[in-house]
Amino acid sequence: MVSFHPDSKFLTDFAAGSLAMSEAVCVAAHLEFCGKCRAHVQQLSDVAAQMMARLEPIADEHDGFESLMQRIDSAEPAAPQESAVRAGRPALAASGIPRVVEKLAGGNLQDLNWVKLGGSLRIAPMDVGCKRRQTAIYDIKAGRPMPEHEHRGEEITVLLKGSFSDADGKYVRGDFVVRHAGERHQPTATLDTDCICLVSLEQPVKPSSLWYRLMEPFVQYRLSGFSH
Amino acid sequence: MMASVDALTGIHVDNNDDMDSVATQLTRSSVPDLWAENVRLVAVKRDRAAFQLLYKHFTPLIRAFLLKSMGSGANRAEAEEITQEVLIKVWNKAASFNPAKASVNTWIFTIARNTRIDFIRRNDRNNREIDIEDIWHEAESPEPLVDMQQRRAEQVIKQAMATLPEEQVQVLYKAFMEGKSHNEVAEELGLPLGTVKSRIRLALNKMQILIDR
Repeated sequence: MVSFHPDSKFLTDFAAGSLAMSEAVCVAAHLEFCGKCRAHVQQLSDVAAQMMARLEPIADEHDGFESLMQRIDSAEPAAPQESAVRAGRPALAASGIPRVVEKLAGGNLQDLNWVKLGGSLRIAPMDVGCKRRQTAIYDIKAGRPMPEHEHRGEEITVLLKGSFSDADGKYVRGDFVVRHAGERHQPTATLDTDCICLVSLEQPVKPSSLWYRLMEPFVQYRLSGFSH
Repeated sequence: MMASVDALTGIHVDNNDDMDSVATQLTRSSVPDLWAENVRLVAVKRDRAAFQLLYKHFTPLIRAFLLKSMGSGANRAEAEEITQEVLIKVWNKAASFNPAKASVNTWIFTIARNTRIDFIRRNDRNNREIDIEDIWHEAESPEPLVDMQQRRAEQVIKQAMATLPEEQVQVLYKAFMEGKSHNEVAEELGLPLGTVKSRIRLALNKMQILIDR
Protein backbone atom coordinates (compact mmCIF):
# COMPACT_ATOMS: atom_id res chain seq x y z
CA MET A 1 0.00 0.00 0.00
CA VAL A 2 1.22 3.48 -0.89
CA SER A 3 2.32 5.24 2.28
CA PHE A 4 4.59 8.07 1.14
CA HIS A 5 2.77 10.94 -0.53
CA PRO A 6 3.65 14.36 -1.97
CA ASP A 7 3.22 17.06 0.71
CA SER A 8 0.82 20.01 0.47
CA LYS A 9 3.49 22.12 -1.27
CA PHE A 10 3.84 19.65 -4.16
CA LEU A 11 0.08 19.09 -4.47
CA THR A 12 -0.76 22.81 -4.29
CA ASP A 13 1.89 23.83 -6.82
CA PHE A 14 0.75 20.96 -9.06
CA ALA A 15 -2.92 21.98 -8.92
CA ALA A 16 -2.00 25.64 -9.46
CA GLY A 17 0.09 24.66 -12.47
CA SER A 18 3.31 26.22 -11.13
CA LEU A 19 5.26 23.02 -10.49
CA ALA A 20 8.26 22.52 -12.79
CA MET A 21 7.82 19.83 -15.44
CA SER A 22 10.17 17.27 -13.91
CA GLU A 23 8.44 17.43 -10.51
CA ALA A 24 5.01 17.58 -12.12
CA VAL A 25 5.70 14.32 -13.96
CA CYS A 26 6.60 12.70 -10.62
CA VAL A 27 3.39 13.95 -8.99
CA ALA A 28 1.33 12.81 -12.01
CA ALA A 29 2.93 9.35 -11.81
CA HIS A 30 2.12 9.12 -8.08
CA LEU A 31 -1.49 10.21 -8.74
CA GLU A 32 -2.02 7.17 -10.95
CA PHE A 33 -1.31 4.99 -7.92
CA CYS A 34 -3.08 7.10 -5.29
CA GLY A 35 -6.79 7.94 -5.17
CA LYS A 36 -6.38 9.99 -2.01
CA CYS A 37 -3.91 12.41 -3.62
CA ARG A 38 -6.07 12.55 -6.76
CA ALA A 39 -8.96 13.66 -4.56
CA HIS A 40 -6.73 16.30 -2.93
CA VAL A 41 -5.66 17.66 -6.32
CA GLN A 42 -9.31 17.83 -7.32
CA GLN A 43 -10.15 19.76 -4.13
CA LEU A 44 -7.23 22.12 -4.69
CA SER A 45 -8.50 22.74 -8.23
CA ASP A 46 -11.88 23.54 -6.65
CA VAL A 47 -10.15 26.12 -4.45
CA ALA A 48 -8.54 27.70 -7.50
CA ALA A 49 -11.85 27.64 -9.37
CA GLN A 50 -13.61 29.34 -6.46
CA MET A 51 -10.94 32.02 -6.44
CA MET A 52 -11.33 32.51 -10.18
CA ALA A 53 -15.10 32.84 -9.71
CA ARG A 54 -14.46 35.67 -7.25
CA LEU A 55 -12.09 37.67 -9.43
CA GLU A 56 -13.12 41.10 -10.58
CA PRO A 57 -14.41 40.24 -14.10
CA ILE A 58 -12.72 41.96 -17.05
CA ALA A 59 -15.36 42.46 -19.73
CA ASP A 60 -14.84 42.16 -23.50
CA GLU A 61 -13.71 45.38 -25.14
CA HIS A 62 -16.24 44.52 -27.81
CA ASP A 63 -18.51 41.48 -27.82
CA GLY A 64 -16.29 38.72 -29.19
CA PHE A 65 -18.87 35.95 -29.26
CA GLU A 66 -19.68 36.13 -33.00
CA SER A 67 -16.03 36.18 -34.03
CA LEU A 68 -15.33 33.25 -31.70
CA MET A 69 -18.14 31.24 -33.31
CA GLN A 70 -16.78 32.08 -36.76
CA ARG A 71 -13.42 30.79 -35.66
CA ILE A 72 -14.98 27.60 -34.30
CA ASP A 73 -17.05 27.10 -37.48
CA SER A 74 -14.10 27.56 -39.80
CA ALA A 75 -11.83 25.19 -37.85
CA GLU A 76 -11.52 21.52 -38.64
CA PRO A 77 -13.85 19.48 -36.44
CA ALA A 78 -11.87 18.54 -33.35
CA ALA A 79 -10.52 15.01 -33.42
CA PRO A 80 -12.09 12.74 -30.83
CA GLN A 81 -9.86 12.68 -27.76
CA GLU A 82 -11.06 9.77 -25.76
CA SER A 83 -7.95 8.04 -24.60
CA ALA A 84 -8.26 6.89 -21.01
CA VAL A 85 -5.95 9.64 -19.82
CA ARG A 86 -7.79 12.39 -21.69
CA ALA A 87 -11.12 11.31 -20.29
CA GLY A 88 -9.79 11.97 -16.82
CA ARG A 89 -9.37 8.37 -15.81
CA PRO A 90 -5.78 8.17 -14.73
CA ALA A 91 -5.05 4.51 -14.46
CA LEU A 92 -1.98 2.43 -14.79
CA ALA A 93 -1.13 1.09 -18.22
CA ALA A 94 -1.45 -2.67 -18.76
CA SER A 95 2.26 -2.97 -17.97
CA GLY A 96 1.60 -1.60 -14.47
CA ILE A 97 3.70 1.47 -15.25
CA PRO A 98 1.94 4.87 -15.00
CA ARG A 99 0.60 6.01 -18.37
CA VAL A 100 2.29 9.38 -18.05
CA VAL A 101 5.69 7.68 -17.80
CA GLU A 102 5.04 5.34 -20.73
CA LYS A 103 3.82 8.26 -22.83
CA LEU A 104 6.90 10.37 -22.08
CA ALA A 105 9.17 7.39 -22.68
CA GLY A 106 7.52 6.95 -26.08
CA GLY A 107 6.13 3.50 -25.26
CA ASN A 108 8.21 0.73 -23.80
CA LEU A 109 10.72 1.63 -21.09
CA GLN A 110 13.10 -0.98 -22.49
CA ASP A 111 13.56 1.13 -25.62
CA LEU A 112 14.98 4.08 -23.68
CA ASN A 113 18.68 4.91 -23.88
CA TRP A 114 19.93 2.96 -20.87
CA VAL A 115 23.32 3.72 -19.39
CA LYS A 116 24.82 0.94 -17.26
CA LEU A 117 26.46 2.04 -14.04
CA GLY A 118 28.25 -0.96 -12.60
CA GLY A 119 26.56 -4.33 -12.25
CA SER A 120 23.45 -3.39 -10.30
CA LEU A 121 22.15 -0.12 -11.72
CA ARG A 122 21.19 1.28 -15.07
CA ILE A 123 19.76 4.72 -15.77
CA ALA A 124 17.71 6.05 -18.69
CA PRO A 125 17.49 9.83 -18.89
CA MET A 126 14.09 11.21 -19.87
CA ASP A 127 13.65 14.52 -21.63
CA VAL A 128 10.67 16.30 -20.12
CA GLY A 129 11.80 19.74 -21.26
CA CYS A 130 12.97 20.84 -17.85
CA LYS A 131 16.29 22.59 -17.51
CA ARG A 132 16.50 22.94 -13.76
CA ARG A 133 16.32 19.26 -13.00
CA GLN A 134 17.32 15.91 -14.40
CA THR A 135 14.64 13.32 -14.94
CA ALA A 136 15.49 9.65 -15.35
CA ILE A 137 14.29 6.10 -14.89
CA TYR A 138 16.46 4.00 -12.56
CA ASP A 139 16.49 0.22 -12.77
CA ILE A 140 18.10 -1.51 -9.77
CA LYS A 141 18.73 -5.27 -9.96
CA ALA A 142 16.81 -7.39 -7.44
CA GLY A 143 18.55 -7.58 -4.09
CA ARG A 144 21.38 -5.27 -5.13
CA PRO A 145 22.35 -1.98 -3.54
CA MET A 146 22.78 1.27 -5.37
CA PRO A 147 26.03 3.08 -4.63
CA GLU A 148 25.70 5.06 -1.43
CA HIS A 149 25.26 8.66 -2.40
CA GLU A 150 24.72 12.08 -0.93
CA HIS A 151 22.29 14.63 -2.34
CA ARG A 152 23.41 18.07 -3.37
CA GLY A 153 19.84 19.04 -4.08
CA GLU A 154 16.36 17.66 -3.67
CA GLU A 155 15.67 14.24 -5.11
CA ILE A 156 12.20 12.86 -5.77
CA THR A 157 11.81 9.13 -6.31
CA VAL A 158 8.53 7.54 -7.38
CA LEU A 159 8.55 3.76 -7.19
CA LEU A 160 7.08 2.32 -10.37
CA LYS A 161 7.84 -1.37 -9.85
CA GLY A 162 9.35 -3.58 -7.16
CA SER A 163 10.40 -2.13 -3.84
CA PHE A 164 13.51 -0.84 -2.14
CA SER A 165 14.67 -0.07 1.32
CA ASP A 166 17.23 2.15 2.94
CA ALA A 167 18.17 2.95 6.51
CA ASP A 168 14.89 4.87 6.95
CA GLY A 169 12.41 2.31 5.76
CA LYS A 170 10.90 0.24 3.00
CA TYR A 171 9.25 1.77 -0.02
CA VAL A 172 6.74 0.14 -2.35
CA ARG A 173 5.06 0.84 -5.71
CA GLY A 174 3.52 4.29 -5.91
CA ASP A 175 5.49 5.74 -2.99
CA PHE A 176 6.68 9.32 -3.52
CA VAL A 177 9.93 9.76 -1.60
CA VAL A 178 11.73 13.09 -1.22
CA ARG A 179 15.38 13.41 -0.14
CA HIS A 180 16.94 16.76 0.61
CA ALA A 181 20.39 18.22 0.07
CA GLY A 182 22.98 16.80 2.42
CA GLU A 183 21.16 13.52 3.11
CA ARG A 184 23.13 10.34 2.40
CA HIS A 185 21.55 7.02 1.72
CA GLN A 186 22.09 3.69 0.05
CA PRO A 187 18.88 2.24 -1.36
CA THR A 188 18.78 -1.53 -1.89
CA ALA A 189 16.27 -3.25 -4.13
CA THR A 190 14.39 -6.05 -2.39
CA LEU A 191 15.28 -9.63 -3.28
CA ASP A 192 12.35 -10.84 -5.35
CA THR A 193 12.27 -8.38 -8.24
CA ASP A 194 14.10 -5.56 -10.01
CA CYS A 195 13.17 -2.11 -8.79
CA ILE A 196 12.20 0.57 -11.30
CA CYS A 197 11.93 4.19 -10.19
CA LEU A 198 11.18 7.56 -11.72
CA VAL A 199 13.71 10.04 -10.37
CA SER A 200 13.82 13.82 -10.51
CA LEU A 201 17.07 15.40 -9.35
CA GLU A 202 17.61 19.03 -8.57
CA GLN A 203 21.39 18.66 -8.82
CA PRO A 204 23.52 15.69 -9.72
CA VAL A 205 24.02 13.47 -6.68
CA LYS A 206 27.49 13.09 -5.28
CA PRO A 207 28.37 9.41 -4.88
CA SER A 208 30.32 8.78 -1.69
CA SER A 209 32.74 6.17 -2.96
CA LEU A 210 35.88 7.25 -4.77
CA TRP A 211 35.16 5.02 -7.73
CA TYR A 212 31.80 6.60 -8.45
CA ARG A 213 33.24 10.04 -7.85
CA LEU A 214 35.86 9.34 -10.49
CA MET A 215 33.20 8.06 -12.81
CA GLU A 216 30.86 10.95 -12.26
CA PRO A 217 32.14 13.30 -15.00
CA PHE A 218 31.73 10.43 -17.45
CA VAL A 219 28.23 9.68 -16.25
CA GLN A 220 27.25 13.33 -16.44
CA TYR A 221 28.68 13.50 -19.95
CA ARG A 222 26.75 10.45 -21.09
CA LEU A 223 23.54 11.61 -19.45
CA SER A 224 23.71 15.12 -20.83
CA GLY A 225 24.46 13.69 -24.27
CA PHE A 226 21.11 11.95 -24.25
CA SER A 227 18.99 14.64 -22.74
CA HIS A 228 18.83 16.93 -25.75
CA MET B 1 -25.73 38.32 2.02
CA MET B 2 -23.32 41.23 1.87
CA ALA B 3 -20.66 41.08 -0.81
CA SER B 4 -17.63 43.31 -1.08
CA VAL B 5 -14.38 43.32 -2.97
CA ASP B 6 -11.29 42.54 -0.96
CA ALA B 7 -8.98 45.54 -1.39
CA LEU B 8 -5.84 43.43 -1.50
CA THR B 9 -6.78 40.82 -4.05
CA GLY B 10 -9.81 42.15 -5.87
CA ILE B 11 -11.63 38.98 -4.86
CA HIS B 12 -15.30 39.21 -4.03
CA VAL B 13 -15.84 38.29 -0.42
CA ASP B 14 -19.15 37.28 1.09
CA ASN B 15 -18.88 38.88 4.50
CA ASN B 16 -21.78 37.20 6.20
CA ASP B 17 -20.72 33.61 5.68
CA ASP B 18 -19.52 31.82 8.76
CA MET B 19 -18.69 28.33 9.84
CA ASP B 20 -22.30 27.61 10.83
CA SER B 21 -23.37 27.81 7.24
CA VAL B 22 -20.48 25.51 6.34
CA ALA B 23 -21.99 22.92 8.65
CA THR B 24 -25.41 23.47 7.08
CA GLN B 25 -23.96 22.93 3.64
CA LEU B 26 -22.31 19.72 4.74
CA THR B 27 -25.65 18.15 5.50
CA ARG B 28 -27.07 18.82 2.05
CA SER B 29 -27.10 15.75 -0.12
CA SER B 30 -26.71 17.45 -3.46
CA VAL B 31 -25.85 20.89 -4.70
CA PRO B 32 -27.09 21.94 -8.13
CA ASP B 33 -24.53 23.16 -10.62
CA LEU B 34 -26.36 25.78 -12.67
CA TRP B 35 -23.87 25.65 -15.53
CA ALA B 36 -23.82 21.88 -16.01
CA GLU B 37 -27.00 21.92 -18.12
CA ASN B 38 -25.48 24.51 -20.46
CA VAL B 39 -22.38 22.36 -20.97
CA ARG B 40 -24.60 19.34 -21.61
CA LEU B 41 -26.57 21.25 -24.25
CA VAL B 42 -23.32 22.31 -25.94
CA ALA B 43 -22.12 18.70 -25.89
CA VAL B 44 -25.30 17.04 -27.09
CA LYS B 45 -26.95 19.66 -29.29
CA ARG B 46 -24.08 22.01 -30.14
CA ASP B 47 -26.42 24.60 -28.64
CA ARG B 48 -25.08 28.09 -29.40
CA ALA B 49 -27.43 29.92 -27.06
CA ALA B 50 -26.28 27.73 -24.16
CA PHE B 51 -22.68 28.32 -25.16
CA GLN B 52 -23.26 32.06 -25.34
CA LEU B 53 -24.45 32.05 -21.72
CA LEU B 54 -21.28 30.22 -20.70
CA TYR B 55 -19.26 32.66 -22.78
CA LYS B 56 -20.86 35.70 -21.14
CA HIS B 57 -20.29 34.44 -17.63
CA PHE B 58 -16.87 32.82 -17.88
CA THR B 59 -14.96 34.88 -20.47
CA PRO B 60 -14.45 37.93 -18.18
CA LEU B 61 -13.27 35.61 -15.37
CA ILE B 62 -10.94 33.55 -17.58
CA ARG B 63 -9.49 36.79 -18.98
CA ALA B 64 -8.94 38.15 -15.45
CA PHE B 65 -7.25 34.91 -14.38
CA LEU B 66 -4.98 34.77 -17.43
CA LEU B 67 -3.93 38.41 -17.17
CA LYS B 68 -2.85 37.74 -13.59
CA SER B 69 -1.29 34.33 -14.06
CA MET B 70 0.51 34.61 -17.37
CA GLY B 71 3.05 36.88 -15.74
CA SER B 72 4.83 39.94 -17.02
CA GLY B 73 5.84 38.01 -20.17
CA ALA B 74 2.30 38.20 -21.51
CA ASN B 75 0.59 41.26 -22.92
CA ARG B 76 -3.11 41.95 -23.24
CA ALA B 77 -3.25 40.59 -26.81
CA GLU B 78 -1.67 37.29 -25.76
CA ALA B 79 -4.01 36.96 -22.79
CA GLU B 80 -6.91 37.61 -25.18
CA GLU B 81 -5.69 34.91 -27.58
CA ILE B 82 -5.32 32.36 -24.75
CA THR B 83 -8.79 33.32 -23.46
CA GLN B 84 -10.22 32.51 -26.92
CA GLU B 85 -8.31 29.21 -26.96
CA VAL B 86 -9.84 28.26 -23.60
CA LEU B 87 -13.36 28.93 -24.90
CA ILE B 88 -12.74 26.96 -28.08
CA LYS B 89 -11.68 24.04 -25.87
CA VAL B 90 -14.85 24.42 -23.78
CA TRP B 91 -16.84 24.07 -27.02
CA ASN B 92 -14.77 21.17 -28.35
CA LYS B 93 -14.47 19.22 -25.11
CA ALA B 94 -17.98 19.73 -23.75
CA ALA B 95 -18.70 16.02 -24.26
CA SER B 96 -15.86 15.04 -21.93
CA PHE B 97 -17.25 17.12 -19.05
CA ASN B 98 -18.44 14.83 -16.26
CA PRO B 99 -20.70 16.56 -13.71
CA ALA B 100 -20.08 13.74 -11.22
CA LYS B 101 -16.38 14.57 -11.09
CA ALA B 102 -16.28 18.34 -11.01
CA SER B 103 -18.33 21.50 -11.28
CA VAL B 104 -18.27 23.52 -14.49
CA ASN B 105 -16.32 26.16 -12.55
CA THR B 106 -13.55 23.71 -11.74
CA TRP B 107 -13.57 22.12 -15.19
CA ILE B 108 -13.16 25.50 -16.88
CA PHE B 109 -10.45 26.51 -14.42
CA THR B 110 -8.46 23.36 -15.26
CA ILE B 111 -8.78 24.06 -18.99
CA ALA B 112 -7.59 27.65 -18.42
CA ARG B 113 -4.73 26.45 -16.20
CA ASN B 114 -3.58 23.87 -18.77
CA THR B 115 -3.80 26.34 -21.64
CA ARG B 116 -1.70 28.76 -19.61
CA ILE B 117 0.95 26.09 -18.85
CA ASP B 118 1.01 25.27 -22.56
CA PHE B 119 1.46 28.94 -23.47
CA ILE B 120 4.39 29.37 -21.08
CA ARG B 121 6.04 26.23 -22.49
CA ARG B 122 5.45 27.32 -26.09
CA ASN B 123 7.39 30.50 -25.38
CA ASP B 124 10.25 28.56 -23.89
CA ARG B 125 12.48 27.51 -26.78
CA ASN B 126 14.49 24.23 -26.64
CA ASN B 127 11.39 22.51 -25.28
CA ARG B 128 10.25 19.24 -26.73
CA GLU B 129 6.62 18.73 -27.60
CA ILE B 130 4.79 17.38 -24.59
CA ASP B 131 1.05 17.06 -24.32
CA ILE B 132 0.27 18.95 -21.12
CA GLU B 133 -2.90 16.94 -20.62
CA ASP B 134 -0.91 13.76 -20.17
CA ILE B 135 0.34 15.33 -16.94
CA TRP B 136 -2.38 17.76 -15.84
CA HIS B 137 -5.71 16.02 -16.41
CA GLU B 138 -8.85 18.04 -16.76
CA ALA B 139 -10.56 16.07 -14.05
CA GLU B 140 -8.69 14.01 -11.55
CA SER B 141 -10.70 10.92 -10.94
CA PRO B 142 -10.95 10.25 -7.23
CA GLU B 143 -12.01 6.93 -5.77
CA PRO B 144 -15.73 6.16 -6.25
CA LEU B 145 -16.52 6.82 -2.59
CA VAL B 146 -14.77 10.15 -2.63
CA ASP B 147 -16.67 11.02 -5.80
CA MET B 148 -19.99 11.24 -4.01
CA GLN B 149 -18.60 13.70 -1.51
CA GLN B 150 -16.86 15.81 -4.10
CA ARG B 151 -19.66 18.24 -4.84
CA ARG B 152 -20.41 18.81 -1.18
CA ALA B 153 -16.72 19.46 -0.60
CA GLU B 154 -16.91 22.25 -3.15
CA GLN B 155 -19.61 23.98 -1.14
CA VAL B 156 -17.51 23.71 2.01
CA ILE B 157 -14.60 25.31 0.16
CA LYS B 158 -16.78 28.12 -1.10
CA GLN B 159 -18.19 28.91 2.32
CA ALA B 160 -14.94 28.61 4.24
CA MET B 161 -13.00 30.75 1.78
CA ALA B 162 -15.01 33.79 2.87
CA THR B 163 -13.87 33.34 6.47
CA LEU B 164 -10.12 33.15 5.86
CA PRO B 165 -7.85 35.80 7.37
CA GLU B 166 -6.23 38.15 4.90
CA GLU B 167 -2.71 36.73 5.25
CA GLN B 168 -4.01 33.30 4.21
CA VAL B 169 -6.10 34.70 1.34
CA GLN B 170 -2.99 36.53 0.12
CA VAL B 171 -0.80 33.41 -0.18
CA LEU B 172 -3.62 31.34 -1.67
CA TYR B 173 -4.24 34.08 -4.20
CA LYS B 174 -0.60 34.27 -5.24
CA ALA B 175 -0.39 30.49 -5.54
CA PHE B 176 -3.62 29.85 -7.40
CA MET B 177 -4.43 33.06 -9.28
CA GLU B 178 -0.95 34.39 -10.01
CA GLY B 179 0.38 30.88 -10.62
CA LYS B 180 3.37 31.32 -8.32
CA SER B 181 5.07 28.37 -6.68
CA HIS B 182 5.56 28.22 -2.89
CA ASN B 183 9.18 29.31 -3.43
CA GLU B 184 8.19 32.29 -5.58
CA VAL B 185 5.53 33.38 -3.08
CA ALA B 186 8.06 33.14 -0.23
CA GLU B 187 10.59 35.18 -2.17
CA GLU B 188 8.10 37.83 -3.18
CA LEU B 189 6.67 38.32 0.30
CA GLY B 190 10.03 38.01 2.02
CA LEU B 191 8.73 35.12 4.14
CA PRO B 192 10.40 31.81 5.00
CA LEU B 193 9.16 28.94 2.79
CA GLY B 194 7.82 27.21 5.92
CA THR B 195 5.60 30.19 6.72
CA VAL B 196 4.08 30.20 3.24
CA LYS B 197 3.50 26.47 3.47
CA SER B 198 1.86 26.68 6.90
CA ARG B 199 -0.40 29.59 5.89
CA ILE B 200 -1.61 27.63 2.89
CA ARG B 201 -2.10 24.51 5.04
CA LEU B 202 -4.11 26.44 7.65
CA ALA B 203 -6.35 27.78 4.89
CA LEU B 204 -6.75 24.32 3.33
CA ASN B 205 -7.59 22.79 6.71
CA LYS B 206 -10.39 25.32 7.16
CA MET B 207 -11.72 24.23 3.80
CA GLN B 208 -11.62 20.60 5.03
CA ILE B 209 -8.75 19.75 2.68
CA LEU B 210 -6.69 17.64 5.03
CA ILE B 211 -3.36 16.77 3.47
CA ASP B 212 -1.16 14.71 5.78
CA ARG B 213 2.03 16.73 5.45
